[in-house]
Amino acid sequence: MPPSGTLRRPTFHGAGGTLFGIHVVNTLLTLVTLGFYYFWAKTRLRRYLFGQTEIEGDRFAYHGTGRELLLGTLKAVLVFGVPIYLLNIIRDVLDVPAPVKVGAGLLSASLLFVLFPVAMVGARRYRLGRASWRGIRFSFRGRVRDLVKIVLVGSILTGLTLGLYYPFLLVKRQAFMISNSYFGSERFDFAGRGRDLFWVYVQAILLTLPTLGLSWVWYLARKRRYFWDHTSFGPARFSCTITGRALLGLWAVNALLLVGTLGIAWPWVRVRNIHFAFRNLALLGPLDLARIQQEAQRVSTMGEGLSGFFDSGFDLA
Amino acid sequence: MRTDWQGSYLDGRTAARHPATIRLMREGLEITTEAGGTRLWRYRELRQTQGSYAGEEVRLERGGELPETLLVPDAAFLQSLHEAAPHVGPRFHDPRRRSARLRWTIVAAGGVLAATIAIYLWGIPLLAALVTPHVPVAWEETLGRSAVSYLAPPERRCGDPVLGAAMDAIMARLLAAGPPSPYTMRVYVVNRPVVNALAAPGGHVVIFHGLLERTGTPEELAGVIAHELQHILRRHTTRAVIQDVGTGLLLMALTGDVTGPLAYGLETARALGELRYSRRAEEEADVEGMKMLLAARVDPAGLIAFFEKLQKEEGAQPKALTYLSSHPLPGERIARLKSLAAVRTGAPEPVLPGEDWSALIKRC
Repeated sequence: MPPSGTLRRPTFHGAGGTLFGIHVVNTLLTLVTLGFYYFWAKTRLRRYLFGQTEIEGDRFAYHGTGRELLLGTLKAVLVFGVPIYLLNIIRDVLDVPAPVKVGAGLLSASLLFVLFPVAMVGARRYRLGRASWRGIRFSFRGRVRDLVKIVLVGSILTGLTLGLYYPFLLVKRQAFMISNSYFGSERFDFAGRGRDLFWVYVQAILLTLPTLGLSWVWYLARKRRYFWDHTSFGPARFSCTITGRALLGLWAVNALLLVGTLGIAWPWVRVRNIHFAFRNLALLGPLDLARIQQEAQRVSTMGEGLSGFFDSGFDLA
Repeated sequence: MRTDWQGSYLDGRTAARHPATIRLMREGLEITTEAGGTRLWRYRELRQTQGSYAGEEVRLERGGELPETLLVPDAAFLQSLHEAAPHVGPRFHDPRRRSARLRWTIVAAGGVLAATIAIYLWGIPLLAALVTPHVPVAWEETLGRSAVSYLAPPERRCGDPVLGAAMDAIMARLLAAGPPSPYTMRVYVVNRPVVNALAAPGGHVVIFHGLLERTGTPEELAGVIAHELQHILRRHTTRAVIQDVGTGLLLMALTGDVTGPLAYGLETARALGELRYSRRAEEEADVEGMKMLLAARVDPAGLIAFFEKLQKEEGAQPKALTYLSSHPLPGERIARLKSLAAVRTGAPEPVLPGEDWSALIKRC
């Protein structure tokens, strides 16, 4: 047990009712602007959710804007959406020789394959870069090319091993996402190993039939626990106490709430999910805040190459 | 009015929080920290980024991308700020206006409801009607080809040339009565006992043998084919795809996020929402199909008799339901067809004179 006073838990102060009110106004503005307000709506929601989250007596702040989100989506549509769409037309509709069709299909598939890591890095870079606590910005410094490599090699190995490599791929990806995340000048660290998750994964596969698939809920809980428990920040580390049973209970009630209200209850469901996550999460150990310096990544509107292009604030959500 | 408040100051360079005393002045805030002495922040240099909702602390920021921050836990600070400096206006949130915000939220909820109904009833159908004519026929043909390869696989198609010629003759007669179309129409008879017929986009009419068996005259079948041809000519599948996307977007806007279990609920809502659209498409195909029959001088009594026969069979033979259930109420439908058929001018001409229909349909 760590000495008392070194255990920190995040708290969420938000209320479902307020969230619902924000959502109603957001929806109206989104409808009357034919969807354009969507990006500002998303920003307003995030601003509220971040501002209601507290740890160690201080709340988080979100600094993103709707304009950035709109531009990020436009970029994604221009660089991925339009080419994939055109290539698919060549593949399916146009009357061209078969090799051209195959080439267009391959090109479209590989663009789609690259889109996933680009979106993941872009979104994380943007969201962390726009988040702060005590005036200090978070940042993500991972490079798209590294994640493409992890996903490409991982996918090939997963295919060759008939899926058995998948947990190793997940751990590698998590390591990339965590150990490139910073709060000010201090980096987060991830010490998980693929072989630890491997057995959890194998167990879930073997128990799929006897448990009618419920073993995967336990797998998700254990995976989340494993990921958090192996994440550290300086000398402090995270600890997660989520169990499969609790997760299943949460989902069951959420499903009842959503079905019973035709989805209207989703702001309350969202608050429930956050409370659940925070109740099961703690940061243990000393936190040397005096050492942390502001070190925000300058985000330029135009970088070099594709990854630089997206680094300026690419977010699909 | 209270002028002195307690809060914290963040310098934007380190994570240290400095306790601060804030004094409200007319032109700005005077901030005193233990270490950093006193500074004056002018109101026009500041922006408020938190504190508009109940329970939030007031957060004021000054400077560019990495600002200095002032945090005041007591929200009553804002009210005093407005009293100390009435000229700052909407730059800072005023807690006294929260009840007005609540009223506006309720009005907005009514607005959302009205907008949703209007978009569903008129907006999406209008959008589909505007976009559909611009969808290339080649796309519909691609879509239709893949649908037909699944619905009417070549090995289940009836290959009898005599029956095929009769089908083509019926269709040619119907098409000759209308304006030229960009589609190459084909009819397939599929050897399955289902009582159903359907149209795939791009010009494919699929008749299942179960339906063919129940027709007593070529006029009855001509009525069914006319209905299906209208689905193709009016591009109902393309319109349905666009309406499907529209409904999906509307539901996405309404729920904000589409993840997890909510996605299943949405799928149900979307399926329900499309029922209305598909009913309207069926009504249109009925009306236009009947007009086509009349223009081609085919006796409309055949189609009406066929529907009446299916309706009677419904109780005894659930299989007959297939054709009717995806369509409007059968009684209503027959009544509408009868009133349309009443405007017929001139005597009908037989569709396949001298052919033995009951022998013909047994060829498969």
